Amino acid sequence: MQQVAAEAEARALERKFDIVVLVSMFLAILSGFHIHQMLTAGDWSFWIDWKDRMWWPVVAPIMDITFPAACQAILWTKFKAPIGATFSCAGLFFGQWMNRYWNFWGWAHYPLNFVFPETLLPQAIVLDGVLMITNNFVVTALIGGELWGWLFYPSNWPMIAPYHVPVEYYGQLMSVADLIQYEYIRTSTPEYIRMVETGTMRNFAGGVLGVSAFFSGFCSVIMYFIWWYFGYFFGWTKFIKHSKV
Amino acid sequence: MAQATTQTVSISIPDKSAFSWKNLWIALAIITVFEIAVNVYERTFAFAKGLDYFTPDYQTYWMSILYTELILEPTTLIALCSWLWVTRDRAMENLAPAEELRRYWNLGLFVVVYTVLLYWGASYYTEQDGTWHQTVIRDTDFTPSHIIEFYQSYPIYIIAGVGSMVYAMTRLPQYAKAFSVPYAVLVGSPLMIFPNVGLNEFGHTRWFMEELFVAPLHWGFVMFGWGALAILGTWLQICPRVVELIKQVYYGKPATPPAVVLNDPEKATDPALCEV
Repeated sequence: MQQVAAEAEARALERKFDIVVLVSMFLAILSGFHIHQMLTAGDWSFWIDWKDRMWWPVVAPIMDITFPAACQAILWTKFKAPIGATFSCAGLFFGQWMNRYWNFWGWAHYPLNFVFPETLLPQAIVLDGVLMITNNFVVTALIGGELWGWLFYPSNWPMIAPYHVPVEYYGQLMSVADLIQYEYIRTSTPEYIRMVETGTMRNFAGGVLGVSAFFSGFCSVIMYFIWWYFGYFFGWTKFIKHSKV
Repeated sequence: MAQATTQTVSISIPDKSAFSWKNLWIALAIITVFEIAVNVYERTFAFAKGLDYFTPDYQTYWMSILYTELILEPTTLIALCSWLWVTRDRAMENLAPAEELRRYWNLGLFVVVYTVLLYWGASYYTEQDGTWHQTVIRDTDFTPSHIIEFYQSYPIYIIAGVGSMVYAMTRLPQYAKAFSVPYAVLVGSPLMIFPNVGLNEFGHTRWFMEELFVAPLHWGFVMFGWGALAILGTWLQICPRVVELIKQVYYGKPATPPAVVLNDPEKATDPALCEV
């Protein structure tokens, strides 16, 4: 009877440690991923008029497949948890929304439909699914990485489509997103970095988007490989004796 | 030929209160109240008193905060580390399993507090700085959002991270005689974000006044942020030892003695120890 009680206590303690591990992992990965994302693809994430058809579908997926790949490398191979990509992207999503809501909207009073972040969750679920089904990181890089790049724009399209509707404003043709950014001036972003879609891009219009997604998938495959090994590095369990430091 | 044997040893089971959430809830309550107060202060005085460095109001409402931070933070770090060092365990080779397990629990809570503070610094206040800069023209390196982000939120998570590491080094055999590479990266890499502020401010002061968050000038922060991934390696080191100790304390299984772990900490990171 005493042994049964001890085993129940042991199981309860294991669950407590599980919670500590999961919460701390979520917050640490969130923090690292968010600072990485905001400083390598953040301007596209902050503003609806920056969510363009040429650079955004390339820059964001390439920069954002990094932490998902690294997390998968450890969470799948060491913990057999097929959630590395979704776990990290959910963290990023939380961090982004906290700031967009409380600061961009709540403090600086930009409207939320000007500053909402992109979503990575559909691609992340696909990436986790491919790794779980194949149990092979090479196949995940080749298939999952390509899908990561291709799916980014379509999965965000329902949110951004209304802002790509063309409008004529004082004789100028522009998108609704452009119009919003004219109304809400970003004082410290001068003109040369305010208009992200160039004239050439707008002439070639939709044709460029497919090419961007294709290029994005190609780069995402390469980034996945690199960051899978980064994951191994950060999952290293080495000690160095004090006498050798 | 030596044969493997399974021994059952009798060890006292610790009281449930040894693994309480109480300290964590207290810490989280303090952090939450503090961060709400900081946000209220920002909303009250940043746009109202923080737009012109050369006004007396700026000195009163913002520079005074900065000077307070610059005194309190190093003092707290030194006091915390000194206390942990003075009260260190000087006989870890004799550490009882239940006590070692309890210390791992304390370390786990310490790490959670560190990651909560890391979230506030690296995620919340860093992107908040983007909100500020894209709205307000720069007129000083010590702009209100920097006084909160760089000089308050970063040092606070550094204090928690370094404190947690010193706790481990002074109380747990695994960390007493060797540096854990992933733990050093988990604490040291985000710590380096703070010195990187020097590069950032030098660049913005000399030749980069406008705000573009993806500018290469900011990529130092990015590289050091990657170190947060070392939480994965840190837990991979800790989990096998914790499972081994749970098996010893609650199921009476033999475990690696602390004296052995002290001299060969990698022995306690074998994933096979997690097997049921």
